[in-house]
Amino acid sequence: MRSYYRGWMLGALALGPALAAAAPKPGERLSFVACPIVRDTRSVPCWLSEYAGETYYLTIQSDVSAAVQPPMLGHRVLVEGVVSDAPRICGGVVLAPVRLSVMPERDGNCNTLLPADDRYTIDFNPRPPGPSAGRLAFAPDRAAPVSPSQRPEGPQTIELYFDFDKGVSFRHPADLVAILERARQIAATRGVVTGMRGAHRLSDGALLEESDSIGQRRAEEVARLLTGAGLEIPLSVGWKDGEREADGVDDWRSRRVTVVLEP
Amino acid sequence: MTVLASSILKGVIWTRRLVRLAPLLAALAATALMGQPSPKGGAALSQWWAPGEDRPLPAYVEYVNASGRLGILNASGEIATDGHPFFEPIGTNGRACVSCHQPADGMSLALSSILRRWQDSKGTDPIFAAIDGMDCPDGAPADPASHSLLLERGLFRIALPWPPVDAAGRRITPEFTLEVVRDPTGCNTHPVYGVAGERHEVSVYRRPRPAANLRYVASSRFGVTPFIGKTGALSAVDPDTGRPVNMNMMADAREPTLKTQAQSAAHGHLEVAQPLSPEQLGRIRDFELQLYAAEAYSDGAGDLNAPDGPSGLGPRAMAEGADGVLGNNTTRFVFPMEDKWADLPETGDAAQRGRNAFRMSVQRGHDVFFFRTFWIGDAMHINTVGLGNPIKRTCATCHGMHMTGMDTANGWMDLGTTNHPWALEPPESPWAAKRPELPLFKITCREDLPPHPFLGRTIYTQDPGRALISGKCEDVGAIVIQQFRGLAARAPYFSNGSAASRRDVVDFYDRRFNIRFTEQEKVDLVNFLSVL
Repeated sequence: MRSYYRGWMLGALALGPALAAAAPKPGERLSFVACPIVRDTRSVPCWLSEYAGETYYLTIQSDVSAAVQPPMLGHRVLVEGVVSDAPRICGGVVLAPVRLSVMPERDGNCNTLLPADDRYTIDFNPRPPGPSAGRLAFAPDRAAPVSPSQRPEGPQTIELYFDFDKGVSFRHPADLVAILERARQIAATRGVVTGMRGAHRLSDGALLEESDSIGQRRAEEVARLLTGAGLEIPLSVGWKDGEREADGVDDWRSRRVTVVLEP
Repeated sequence: MTVLASSILKGVIWTRRLVRLAPLLAALAATALMGQPSPKGGAALSQWWAPGEDRPLPAYVEYVNASGRLGILNASGEIATDGHPFFEPIGTNGRACVSCHQPADGMSLALSSILRRWQDSKGTDPIFAAIDGMDCPDGAPADPASHSLLLERGLFRIALPWPPVDAAGRRITPEFTLEVVRDPTGCNTHPVYGVAGERHEVSVYRRPRPAANLRYVASSRFGVTPFIGKTGALSAVDPDTGRPVNMNMMADAREPTLKTQAQSAAHGHLEVAQPLSPEQLGRIRDFELQLYAAEAYSDGAGDLNAPDGPSGLGPRAMAEGADGVLGNNTTRFVFPMEDKWADLPETGDAAQRGRNAFRMSVQRGHDVFFFRTFWIGDAMHINTVGLGNPIKRTCATCHGMHMTGMDTANGWMDLGTTNHPWALEPPESPWAAKRPELPLFKITCREDLPPHPFLGRTIYTQDPGRALISGKCEDVGAIVIQQFRGLAARAPYFSNGSAASRRDVVDFYDRRFNIRFTEQEKVDLVNFLSVL
């Protein structure tokens, strides 16, 4: 995950009052499910959420190149993040890194859109709310030197990560194309596709598990897509529950499909 | 003719574009204006193009419409239509492709033209053929009630297999069940044509899309990979090359290429006895890829082809523009205007002052389109692609393709034109004389799969759109965004003809996204749309 929070923090005016009854400690891991909150600004809106009496800053609206993309009103969001010691943004304690996953079911209670408030401004603005300046907000610098990519050799393992209880989505075309390319580069002769069903230990101790068949659905879907896109090698497809017990530390990694390609 | 002749003269000296358009300009000098309709009365020729007419389609010709004149530009020069499969009645019902893709109507078909053809032909014109020019094919041909959706909203019947089948003809298991709730045409509950009938078809009713500017529409230069960028599903492929395509043609993206579309349309609309030959398909494709249409002269703003005017207006700009370019940025723009009409003097005679005032309104309308932010929410395939729900953006976020205003890749979205609660429906009350004209379907999504993120598992829709092809719950009501060119020539708008005017389009969006446009913003937007 790219870390672009530093840039935001430097440019952000963090003027919100400290709300926490028990202040979160920097470095503390949090995992919770809550409604997202949109706070408008004169520029792009901020995305926040509340947990245990504290407001947390999740991300801002930018564009599809952002590593952390905003959640959705109308749905709760699974937040997995680390408390940062950076100044608050839009009144929220910054979680960095943070992983957001929109929960699939609708929740009409998640409908808070706060108006712009002069106390909350965003100086660093990677993408205005209208047209861009001609490049994606987090696109690589065209002037930066490009290191020659090494041709892969031997077996290749590629992991695809998923939103909670979801299958393939807008997040995955680049990963799927990368698998096709890697298979071509190593002249793959066979592959193994394994779907995982995730589980999450929330900060309140509860265990949040994905639906029973999600690992199978993910694996079969990824295999079907790769085959449909022309990957003409035998694919062994399997699935299983998370390989380790959920402990609240990067549990999002259990929501995945692993593809192993062999020459 | 004076204005028009002046426009052409300016075109000839338009040196910046001369090299690229040299063949066209040569053709223009020789033939372009021969016999074209007069913009201000006079001995205007018929604007209607009947199948099998042998007259050539000039390299450049303009047709009158309510806002000015639409320009049709053939970049390869004059088209000999005699024997051309686009213009000949190659099917069994007397139609040609040109029947529903009329040059004067921006290569679509305006409701006004349909009504005129009904009157002039007493309902015998091939566009009223039973297969799709009737609400359901078993109607009485001479009865206007049998053609009500065509005569009232410009809609043709599109019959699609249910359940859907993929490109290889394999049946797709849909993620939802489909129930006919309302069937004003009788076709969806028909014993032959209905969903449960002999043919197992769903009938939806849609407008014909413009068969012009297709170099842009069919471009695969932007964001086309084996996987659809917005969903990760498999992209359709060109059966000739095996390569993925942009899936931006047709309301539901069901045909991947111009050739497959032509073959499908020949079968479904022209009722050809035999499939079109490769030579016929190639000629249709080649014709469509060199054809451009845009408003060329505005009664309010004047010449839109003028070399000193905004570079994104007029058919010549279309002929030389770059395809496959994202324009939602301040480097390329969707419709480049360079602020040329931003601040014009209030000088000259009344006509000049009026023209300048209209041009400034157009510029303001452009700026509303491009810069006026509002909250875009609950729109499938835009709020679900990592931008968040809602997003504070502008019209150009969805309508971002340079020069056309389409979405740049895989452009189906649910903007609410066919799905409840946003789709236009006449009020149901004991006092309402107008009854709903379109079918209504109840979609029930499977419990074991994620629901539609904004509409849940029960959706009411007039047209399930892309979902009738993909079988996916998330695609219900998702319609491929149309191009903005030639709007003045081809009302009504939206795939279901629910917007009778450009003002209706603006009002729809104002309501759908609670934009709260001012009256001035609405007027400016409508004027902007009229010059495209």
